[in-house]
Parts: sequence; structure tokens; C-alpha cells
Amino acid sequence: MFRPLIKALIILFAFLGAGVASAELVVIVNARSGVAAMTRNEVINIFFGRNRQFFNGVEARPVDLEDDDPVRARFYRLLVGKELSEINAYWSRQVFTGRMQAPLRLGSTEEIVRWVAANPGGIGFVELPRADARVRVVYELRR
Amino acid sequence: MLSYEGGVSWRGRRLRIVVLMLCGLLAAGGVAADAGDSFSINGFGTLGAVRTTTDDVEFVRDLSQARGATDHWTAKTDSVLGLQANWQVNPQWQAVAQVLSRYRYDRTFRPEMAWAFVKYDPSPNISLRAGRLGTEFFMLADSRWVGYSILTVRPPGDYFWHLPFYSIHGADAALALPLGEGVLRGKVFYGLSRGLIPLAREQWDIRRSPMAGTYLEYQWGGLQVRASYANIRFRNDLPLASVLAREKGVVLPAVAADYLKTRGTRTHYYSLGMVYDKGPFQAQLMLNHIDQGTNALSDSNAGYLLLGYRLGEVTPFVGYSRVRSRNIANPSLGNAAADAVATYVIEDSRAEQSTVFAGARWDVARNVAIKAQWDGIRGESSSLFPYRKDERARWGGRMDVFSVSMDFIF
Repeated sequence: MFRPLIKALIILFAFLGAGVASAELVVIVNARSGVAAMTRNEVINIFFGRNRQFFNGVEARPVDLEDDDPVRARFYRLLVGKELSEINAYWSRQVFTGRMQAPLRLGSTEEIVRWVAANPGGIGFVELPRADARVRVVYELRR
Repeated sequence: MLSYEGGVSWRGRRLRIVVLMLCGLLAAGGVAADAGDSFSINGFGTLGAVRTTTDDVEFVRDLSQARGATDHWTAKTDSVLGLQANWQVNPQWQAVAQVLSRYRYDRTFRPEMAWAFVKYDPSPNISLRAGRLGTEFFMLADSRWVGYSILTVRPPGDYFWHLPFYSIHGADAALALPLGEGVLRGKVFYGLSRGLIPLAREQWDIRRSPMAGTYLEYQWGGLQVRASYANIRFRNDLPLASVLAREKGVVLPAVAADYLKTRGTRTHYYSLGMVYDKGPFQAQLMLNHIDQGTNALSDSNAGYLLLGYRLGEVTPFVGYSRVRSRNIANPSLGNAAADAVATYVIEDSRAEQSTVFAGARWDVARNVAIKAQWDGIRGESSSLFPYRKDERARWGGRMDVFSVSMDFIF
């Protein structure tokens, strides 16, 4: 008697999964930043603090997620093939040599969309369905 | 046994300088203290234990340590705790102070102010810093104590132990320039050195010795290549007369003292570094050449290769490093006794060894890594410079080093 319910749940989860949980990740910028598209290496340079400006001179302000958000691990796995321990090790070197601070950490990709929409130089990563008209998708993360 | 007068840093005049700097920053930032103002405290640390297979010499992490490890386990060589405060006043201005406690030249873990500086970024890709700064003599040299940031228990010794310099009172400027799909980055620094280098029971005072350096690097995807140059002009002589009198009961003849002088001499450091870091694979290749201005220390060539491959949470690594002395001075002072003393001192600065090392890093929990490592040092019996308390007559140039550590950040 539970079979239809289970079936419905499976379909629902599959749908949700396709929609958000394992949705394609994209890099978004503020819609008024003047940036239309970026390459993988340009995205890496910005998120690792190597370059702090977009091609047009606008200061890039990347935002990141907390470690316990699974999207964070997925983003870095797709972008550079690295685990969070390696990303955190990288930032510990930058921070403790006094070279630079790690990007601001936000609590969810919803907050990232809001933050990027509110900051001209904002750049973050979210699930594709979250990217609305307030932001512009400049890079899609593919395997 | 030695007074802590100027090596320690956070008292007295220097603290006042730091406070003044911070007040200046407050005044500068007060005008624009709006959003973006943030204060954070972070830290890092290592609990490490190391032992070797000999007590003929003592194994140190670098020459800033007065005593080292022997065939008994010791925690002093690698253990460290650092605490850092960052104050981002606004997007352009930042103040950073780091306190570090580790085993040092005076045989204590007395905490010292490792860095204390203000940073000003007039534009996003230009960074200017002034105050007490870490020096990147060689690539990764300013993060040597942040065990969590590296794969091995400690940076390869054959390459790094002749670098007892950590910080300067001075300024640096860094510029990043996107070039193609990569980023070109350059830096210059100048300042007065800090620190004391232990020599037997005495110390070589390198404080206020002017130091300058520069590097240029290109980073493209997972590849980073850097060429760097630095020099230091020593302000003081090695405390040879007192060390020889105390340890050997030998008088240092005036001609030998003059021959071995370091005061006013300049040492040059050249290096080439390459890091490849992509997906689970990482590799580092570093080469350096040190050109000493004094007869007392011999020139050297050193290098290392490190390879690591991550398998889940564990990253096994292997590496090879070596160091060789060059242009060893041959004193001819017209006085046999003076020649003998000078030769004895010069021999103490020889490094002739290779090391094979292997181990693994296990990222056991978030921001905690456990490591185990073996180093097989194979060298000549004349290889004395890397060690402390050497028993020249017994030392054969070979030892194995076993290390375990737990590194963390918070």
C-alpha cells in the first residue's frame, strides 16, 4: 500500500535532485558588472585571490560558502579537482603569511545570489535554477 | 643563560611602534569606517614528535633552533602554536598581527610577535605592506611554520634549514597582472632583519642587518613558476672568539678573526621554484644557490623534488633533496695556528648530503591533518652545518629521521 507513495517520493526526489540538489553549478556575477562570460582559468584566478579585478577593471569580490554546505565541496571538486582540506590548506597559507584574507563565507547559495545582486563586483557560485534576472551566469561548471 | 633583551619583541619600544602604527591606522580608517570593517582571529598549530637514529648530532628544523632531536623522541622541534588577528578596516586598509610560539634560538617557546603590519591596497591588484613582515626568501619560506598548509611534516631540510631568517622591519610591494589566462606577480621588499642565530651557547646577532629581495612568478592554471633573488648585508661578526674559547679553549688569532669576518659582508640568495598542483596530483621542484660574502660560510647549491598524490583523505608523498657546499675557503694566513682555527670554523659550515623522504598526510577531520614521515639522510661525515652539537669524531653522515605530527587550523 505504500508503494505508490514511495514511487511518488522517488519521482519527487529525482525531480528535486535534478532541480537543486545535484543541479549544474554556475558562476554568477552582478548583472551590472559588465562581465558577460569567463573562462575556467579566469574563474580560478578570481576565487583563489590571484587576480582581484575583472577584465574591465571592476574589483572582483568573490563570496564562498561554509564548509558544511555540500555545494562548496562540489564547486571546488568541479573547478580544480580539489577537496576542501586542500582548499583550506591553500587559504591557511595565504592568511597566515599575511598575503590576503579568504573570501567572505555565506550561509547558503540563496544568500550568495542576494549578495552578488547587491554588490557591483560580486561573484559567487550557485545551482543553475537559483540564478535569476538579478545576476548573470558567466561560467558553467562541467565535468 | 642569555638575556632576552632585544630578541623578544613585544615589549618596550617595538610594542610602542606597533601601537602607534595601529593608532595611525585607526585615524586613517576612522574616516571611512563603514561596511567592510571586520575583525577576525584565527590560529594554527602543530603537535609534532621526532626522533633520529643517532646522538652524534642534533637534528633541527632550521638553524634558528639551538638544540635538536636525537635518538629520543622530542616534541620541541616541530611543535608550534600561532594566533593571528586581522582587522579589515575597509577594502583598502588592513592590519595584521601574529603571535607565534615555537622552539627557538634561546631554547624556549617564548611567544614572539611574528608579524605586525599594516597593508594598503591602492588598487585591487597592488598591495603595499609596512611593519614587521615575513620574508619570502625562497618560495613558501614565509609559511614554514603553518604545517597544515603543506604536505610534509616540515619543509625539506636540505633546502630550508640554512634559512634562519623569518622577518624584517620594513616594507614590501606586490603587483599582480593578468597575462593571458594566467597571472604575473612580482614583489620587492626591503627592511632590517630580525633575529638571533644560535651558535653553540652563543648567538649570532643578525638584527638590523639590511635585507632586500624580489621575485617574479607566473601562475597559470595548476602551474606556478617563480624566480627570486634576495641578499642580506650582515651587521655583526659571528661570535667566534667566545665560542672557541668556551667550547674548545682555543684563542682566535686576530688574522683568523679578520679572515672569518661576516660584518659588512653580503650574502646572495638565488632560487627557482616550480609547483604543479592539479586535481589529486601535486609536485614541487625547487633549486637554490647561496653565494656567501664571508669566508666563514661556504657557498651552497640545494634543491628538492616532492611528489604527492591524494587517494581519498590520504595523500602519500615521496621526495628527494640534496645540498652541496661550494667554494670552500682555504685559509693561508701565514700562521699555522691561525690557519688551523680558521679551517676548523670553515669546516663547520659544510653541508654535503642527500635525503630521500616518504610519508603520508591524512586529512582526518575538518581542518586537522595527521602526518607520518621518514627521512633517510645520506651524507658525508663532513656534513656538519645542518646540525647542532656535533660530535665530529663520531658523526658518519648518515641518519634516519622518524616524524609524526598533527596539524590544525582554527
